[in-house]
Amino acid sequence: MTARRFFEKLEALYTDEQERLNDLDAAIGDGDHGSTMLRGLTAAAKAGDGLQAKAFMRASGGASGTLFGLILHEIELHLSGSERSLAAHLRRSLERIKELGKVAQGDKSMVDSLEPAVSALDAGRGIGAAVAAATAGREATRDLAARRGRARYVEDAGRGHVDPGAASVCLILGVLAGEEEQR
Amino acid sequence: MKKLFNSQERMVDDMIDGFVAVYPQVKRGENDSRIVVRRQPKDSDAKVTLLIGNGSGHEPIAMGFVGEGLLDANVVGDVFAAPSADLILDGIAEVCGAAGSILLISQHSGDVINGGAAAMLAEEAGHTVRPLFMYDDISSAPKGEETERRGAPGTMFIYKILGAAAEEGMALGPLFELGEAVRDNTRTLAAAVSPGISPLTGKAMFSLPDDEIYLGMGVHGEPGIGKAKYGPVSGLVETMVEALLDDRPVPAGDAVAVIVNGMGGTTLMELLTVYRETETALKARGLSAVAPMVGTYVTTQEMGGFSISLLTPTAEMLRLWCAPSDTPHFPAIKRD
Repeated sequence: MTARRFFEKLEALYTDEQERLNDLDAAIGDGDHGSTMLRGLTAAAKAGDGLQAKAFMRASGGASGTLFGLILHEIELHLSGSERSLAAHLRRSLERIKELGKVAQGDKSMVDSLEPAVSALDAGRGIGAAVAAATAGREATRDLAARRGRARYVEDAGRGHVDPGAASVCLILGVLAGEEEQR
Repeated sequence: MKKLFNSQERMVDDMIDGFVAVYPQVKRGENDSRIVVRRQPKDSDAKVTLLIGNGSGHEPIAMGFVGEGLLDANVVGDVFAAPSADLILDGIAEVCGAAGSILLISQHSGDVINGGAAAMLAEEAGHTVRPLFMYDDISSAPKGEETERRGAPGTMFIYKILGAAAEEGMALGPLFELGEAVRDNTRTLAAAVSPGISPLTGKAMFSLPDDEIYLGMGVHGEPGIGKAKYGPVSGLVETMVEALLDDRPVPAGDAVAVIVNGMGGTTLMELLTVYRETETALKARGLSAVAPMVGTYVTTQEMGGFSISLLTPTAEMLRLWCAPSDTPHFPAIKRD
């Protein structure tokens, strides 16, 4: 599967999911997570080979666009014939996100779904297990209090709401999984 | 508020068009129209290059400091928004040679994440680049949590001292350590008297009663440490110098380099008065003010107010701070 197909499929998925993600984000943040992601993905799907993650970062703008861009950068490398494993690629994005965002597992963020997914891949359990782990991580964010970002300041630090970043990680890995199984 | 722009979409690019047309020291970079570089680049294989990305709307910083003896490039973001990581990466690729680069990052959350990510991606692409996080605003986090503080106009000490040292050929490792030392010796506190008008909304960025002054407000109108009653400026400056020296005590007899920065809407007449009072407040504590820089450099549109930055320099820092440079907006610094 090519990176191009991956970005086209992800753009199509976010076209459908945009409103739902904006609604999730409205409960604990700016309410624009879906729109921001779709704006980046639309640019990525149009960009030349090897430039898709860069185009995503440019178009989505802002800190969360950069952090998701780091995940998409690794997936782009993986799908463009990198010799490193998918686990190694996603591990690198996870470590970068944790360092830059000063965020750890349990803080109610994208890391809560990305970290378990990467751990599953590291354990050799395959992409399907990684998606399942990410999904469980996403659901766990519902009971967590936010420790980073705007969600800290909303009622009860966002308890009762799923983190939109964690939800997005599941969407991205879901599309990747569908394609990996065809490879 | 009537602002003189063509459109929101064009305002930053139109400004850069004007900037590179006016000043002899600068030109547009090749990688992207939002990158401003020196017209005469230094030999980047022999000398470390220095760059910064920042949101626009704060001019003349930082593109006004691109030129010989200072910055090699400035990556310009949208109004009050950090440039994206890939754009900063393009800026690094534009100027980074075998000697490596330092990416200056004034600590605001967007700049930290986008700049930090750009440095990581640049390393991955084979560039030798080190991000230097700059923070000096004592109002943004308490003593003991210095690394959580915001970047403020005292970061200009770092720009200039590293720019001069890089021009002389200092290698990447020592240059980075020099930057950390300047940062650790610098403290800044701001006082705001009136809001800037956002070019995006056309509205005032905060409101403040006529008889009050905000202490410690950030460059985007971020809340500070409290309000003071409006009165003669000597009392205000005395309070600010006291707070700065309380945060980082300086032994009597030492020399202190001073920046008085206007936020955009405060006159030179007022800023020079602030400097006079700063010198007086320092003298009363047995400290001598040296090598001052006074003027309007880090702005938030027409925001009224100023900041005072104090650096306790080593002899080497002082020499580099006063070294000649040739940029559109960095002034000559007097060395007694």
